[in-house]
Amino acid sequence: MVHQIDYSCQVIRRQQPNRSYVILTLESPEIAAMAMPGQFVDVSSDQFLRRPFGIMSVDREQGTFAIGIRVMGQGTLYLSRLQPGDKVSILGPLGHGFCLEGYDRIITVGGGTGVFPLFFVQQFCREQNIEGIAVCGYRSAEESILTEEFTQTACAVSFASDAGDMTVAGHAGIALQAVIDDLIETNSDISRTLICACGPKLMMKTAARLAKQAGISCQVSLEERMACGVGICLVCVCKTKKDDGTVEHSRCCVDGPVFDAEVVIW
Amino acid sequence: MVDMTVQIGSLKLNNPVIAASGTFGFEREIEQYMDLSKLGGISSKGLTIKPRSGNDAPRVAECPQGMLNSVGLQNPGIEYFIENELPHMLTYGCAVIANIAGHEFEEYGEMAKLLEDTAVDAIELNLSCPNVSGGCMAFGSDAYMIRSVVSSVKKVSSKPLWVKLTPNVTSISEMAIAAEEAGADAVSLINTLLGLVIDIDSRRPIMKNNTGGLSGPAVRPVAVRMVNEVYNAVSIPVIGMGGIMTGRDAAEMMIAGASAVQVGTANLVKPTACIDIIRELESWTANTGAAGVSEITGTIVKW
Ligand SMILES: Cc1cc2nc3c(=O)[nH]c(=O)nc-3n(C[C@H](O)[C@H](O)[C@H](O)COP(=O)(O)OP(=O)(O)OC[C@H]3O[C@@H](n4cnc5c(N)ncnc54)[C@H](O)[C@@H]3O)c2cc1C
Ligand SMILES: Cc1cc2nc3c(=O)[nH]c(=O)nc-3n(C[C@H](O)[C@H](O)[C@H](O)COP(=O)(O)O)c2cc1C
Ligand code: FES
Repeated sequence: MVHQIDYSCQVIRRQQPNRSYVILTLESPEIAAMAMPGQFVDVSSDQFLRRPFGIMSVDREQGTFAIGIRVMGQGTLYLSRLQPGDKVSILGPLGHGFCLEGYDRIITVGGGTGVFPLFFVQQFCREQNIEGIAVCGYRSAEESILTEEFTQTACAVSFASDAGDMTVAGHAGIALQAVIDDLIETNSDISRTLICACGPKLMMKTAARLAKQAGISCQVSLEERMACGVGICLVCVCKTKKDDGTVEHSRCCVDGPVFDAEVVIW
Repeated sequence: MVDMTVQIGSLKLNNPVIAASGTFGFEREIEQYMDLSKLGGISSKGLTIKPRSGNDAPRVAECPQGMLNSVGLQNPGIEYFIENELPHMLTYGCAVIANIAGHEFEEYGEMAKLLEDTAVDAIELNLSCPNVSGGCMAFGSDAYMIRSVVSSVKKVSSKPLWVKLTPNVTSISEMAIAAEEAGADAVSLINTLLGLVIDIDSRRPIMKNNTGGLSGPAVRPVAVRMVNEVYNAVSIPVIGMGGIMTGRDAAEMMIAGASAVQVGTANLVKPTACIDIIRELESWTANTGAAGVSEITGTIVKW
């Protein structure tokens, strides 16, 4: 009944694809075996509280998983400097991920660090033979990340950048609209299509609106400041609608981070 | 083998380590990760007469060696707790303490009455929450109000009554004496210290509530000093908390005068912290040659 949650994980690989991001591959057969797309891990650094990161991918055979880190402050700076062989204490896998069952086409829409957990969704789609379409928004081509990996893994990709130097000029919402329009024009059956969004709030809100207009289901992965990551301190709340329409404070860490877009109060 | 049991008035605990209010959820989550029968006790999340949805997020800010929270007593209300949470908590095999917080003076008595027919082991009067307007901490910073609240609860309740004190006062021993004189069976301290963290770029406080309660190792020396002060001022048991992360920290709190300790913020960094603390405290005690952990209480050797 009682199961372990705290693992000491060794860094297996450190990659720095560009100036802004570091990708760490960590060893934990347990986390790799249990993790589902949309779940996250809570990582110790030299700071007091742990830092949450979406799980970017898993290699169940090797018993490893990866996280992508954007350096924002002291904690992420420390983590970005870890080297192969270093060990870190990690809680995971945590939270409710995306509910992907019953869908035959999944469109992921990510912005910034939001593309990391969505890569895991695409990895899952490929394994399960689900049609995966990846829409990613970046600031610029220079700051783009995982574009090759998404291209190799998903059935179709669309990359947007604010700077206008990628396929679509503007944010991920514009690219998503084009993907939806395309599906509708080609009379595709969208009854079992799901949009999974993760990124800046405004981007997710746009994705949710576009999904609703098109009659497509949508799930969003929210971000809140956390302490425990396991549901016991109630600091990470977001506002959601209950079935009876009343508003409640749900915990982003255990009730989420993924919520049905319909229940989120933006 | 060291005797780890401690006696808080009429209540005997398996060991001196209690999970602090507000840092253990409603236990449904934490029971997946540890055997809760190993704890000395669990103090429930702060309960109120009516359900409360709490303050808006962000509700947390980090600081060196600690954190601030402004949860604002989010809880499903005491009646829901008694019906749906308490029966399950009572199966864990450790002491269960109901932490109650009132907005109005009368609410403490009303809640104590509702708890009277339950098997809850003790009531902890939260006179110290810094994150709600009116009541609560306002009561706890006024010796006269402490007397009134404690004696009104004593009239309707036969449960052991613990009074949780706020450090946001000039003299915490004056508050402890007021609680003792009004009939409290124990005092617990400290609740969080009121603080403020500002993002210098936006010049906005990190927390939506602006201020919040500071906890964690950053407050430990203040807590140890206050526990020692209160231990010298009253003869009822003192339950000490504030920044305990290890068994050695628990020993320090007991040496200052605590008969039992509570562990809060440590659970948020490591969900199984209490179990480690109990094990470390036990082996530390064994190494001192003491037969029982209760022998440590108040053994400070002052200069
Ligand atoms: C569920 C979830 C998944 C995440 N996934 C990723 C990911 O895959 N890759 C990635 O680079 N980042 C991710 N983040 C954001 C990441 O956790 C923060 O950037 C990081 O905590 C910042 O720490 P710091 O010490 O560098 O910054 P500081 O600003 O110094 O941190 C101070 C405090 O604020 C908190 N904090 C600051 N920014 C955020 C934020 N945006 N979200 C939550 N807490 C914050 C920190 O955890 C810490 O407690 C995720 C956040 C959440 C909640
Ligand atoms: C997130 C959080 C929520 C808390 N909620 C309550 C509460 O509902 N009632 C209460 O009496 N104390 C509450 N506290 C205070 C703790 O019980 C404890 O008194 C304080 O945090 C100091 O101990 P620590 O440093 O071990 O955390 C809360 C503390 C934290 C960090
Ligand atoms: S971070 Fe503690 S409940 Fe979510």
